[in-house]
Amino acid sequence: MIEVVLNDRLGKKVRVKCNDDDTIGDLKKLVAAQTGTRADKIRIQKWYTIYKDHITLRDYEIHDGMGLELYYN
Amino acid sequence: MANRTDPAAKSIRGTNPQNLVEKILRSKIYQNTYWKEQCFGLTAETLVDKAMELDHLGGTYGGNRKPTPFMCLVMKMLQIQPEKEIVIEFIKNDDYKYVRILGAFYLRLTGSDTDVYHYLEPLYNDYRKLRRKLADGNFALTHVDEVIDELLTTDYSCDIAMPRIKKRWTLESLGALEPRQSALEEDFEEEEENEDNEQPAEELEDKAHEKDYYRGRSPARERDRDRRRDSHRHRDRDYDRDYDRDYDRERGRGRDRDRDRDRDRENERDRDRERDRDRYRLREEKDYGREREGRERERRDRDRDRGRRRSYSRSRSRSRDRKEHDGGESRKRHARNSISPRRHGDGAEDGEPKKKKEKKEKKEKKDDGTDHPNPEIAEANKLRASLGLKPLRM
Repeated sequence: MIEVVLNDRLGKKVRVKCNDDDTIGDLKKLVAAQTGTRADKIRIQKWYTIYKDHITLRDYEIHDGMGLELYYN
Repeated sequence: MANRTDPAAKSIRGTNPQNLVEKILRSKIYQNTYWKEQCFGLTAETLVDKAMELDHLGGTYGGNRKPTPFMCLVMKMLQIQPEKEIVIEFIKNDDYKYVRILGAFYLRLTGSDTDVYHYLEPLYNDYRKLRRKLADGNFALTHVDEVIDELLTTDYSCDIAMPRIKKRWTLESLGALEPRQSALEEDFEEEEENEDNEQPAEELEDKAHEKDYYRGRSPARERDRDRRRDSHRHRDRDYDRDYDRDYDRERGRGRDRDRDRDRDRENERDRDRERDRDRYRLREEKDYGREREGRERERRDRDRDRGRRRSYSRSRSRSRDRKEHDGGESRKRHARNSISPRRHGDGAEDGEPKKKKEKKEKKEKKDDGTDHPNPEIAEANKLRASLGLKPLRM
């Protein structure tokens, strides 16, 4: 289990517990449940790399405690 | 300048009509090439020509969420705000299905509740295929009636949040609408007469695409079944909020067999709960009232779990003094059990072997991790289970 921090730099900072074999799409659903936005409106980025929905966290080498950027579509 | 709404346009639902599309999506549309090139200076007539060239519908797609031409045209319509007659012409025309869908979409966004139902429901009879662009860029097959169903039942379509409209039976009870006449009415009634048992009628419900909001009109058998099923739902779950939407959506979608499965599961649960009800009431009165515990209990009923002690000792409070709360509860429980001879007697009656078997069953069956000792993890696992994800792996 890893815990990822998502920050949108506008006041929303969310810590989400997930497995490393969860996909980004699953992570978006978890974030949506916590923030109240819709899952398909959320975009997760790291600098200019937009993370794709079907790839797992492990493949993106997202480790425990890592911070991701939260944007909206 | 090209993005300003027509100054003569009326305000829709209290705001600039273009505000029906939310800010981020609106900005995306304004920056889109199709909008800049093709949608500049369009009038109602030239818009029809553009609409005839459409070959797919959809919201935004791709990593950076590019809007489809369909979206741009919807935005254009909101900007120039064509007359209602023109929109109705769009809907009535039979040759170009995408023009029809465009008109229907616009009417759903801007029309009054009565108009929406009045003009969109005849489109249920249109079975033509449509091409829909999904969020990942691929195309999917859909049909006109499916899209209309989505417009009328859900409150989100093609990345635009639909304004809320009143439910059909509300409008019928107000007298603003006639009760719904389905095109499949006669077929449905015929089948009803032929069959006796419920199962085929249930299947017909699936086939009929019938959104029969107005309960009074449905045949007697269906009414009874619905009443039983719905009152059942009302009693168990916190369906109050989503009651109408779920009810309508399930009846309307007409394609899923989930309803059959749900019914069977509910019957089973009913039976289990009846059997276990007395035992629970005797033992844990203090937790009986709590709704959450009740839901937990239902799930356990299904699994025939008798190891309730473990679940009830787990406090659901998120406060920091959780430990004290927890400890207090379990301490109290021990005291209570030791005092009352009757309860102790009941425990002995059930017998040790049963408890052991239950514990083993419980360990095998609880694989979604919602009984984890750490309440945060248990909470997270519950959320994951509700989203359809596997539990957290430690």
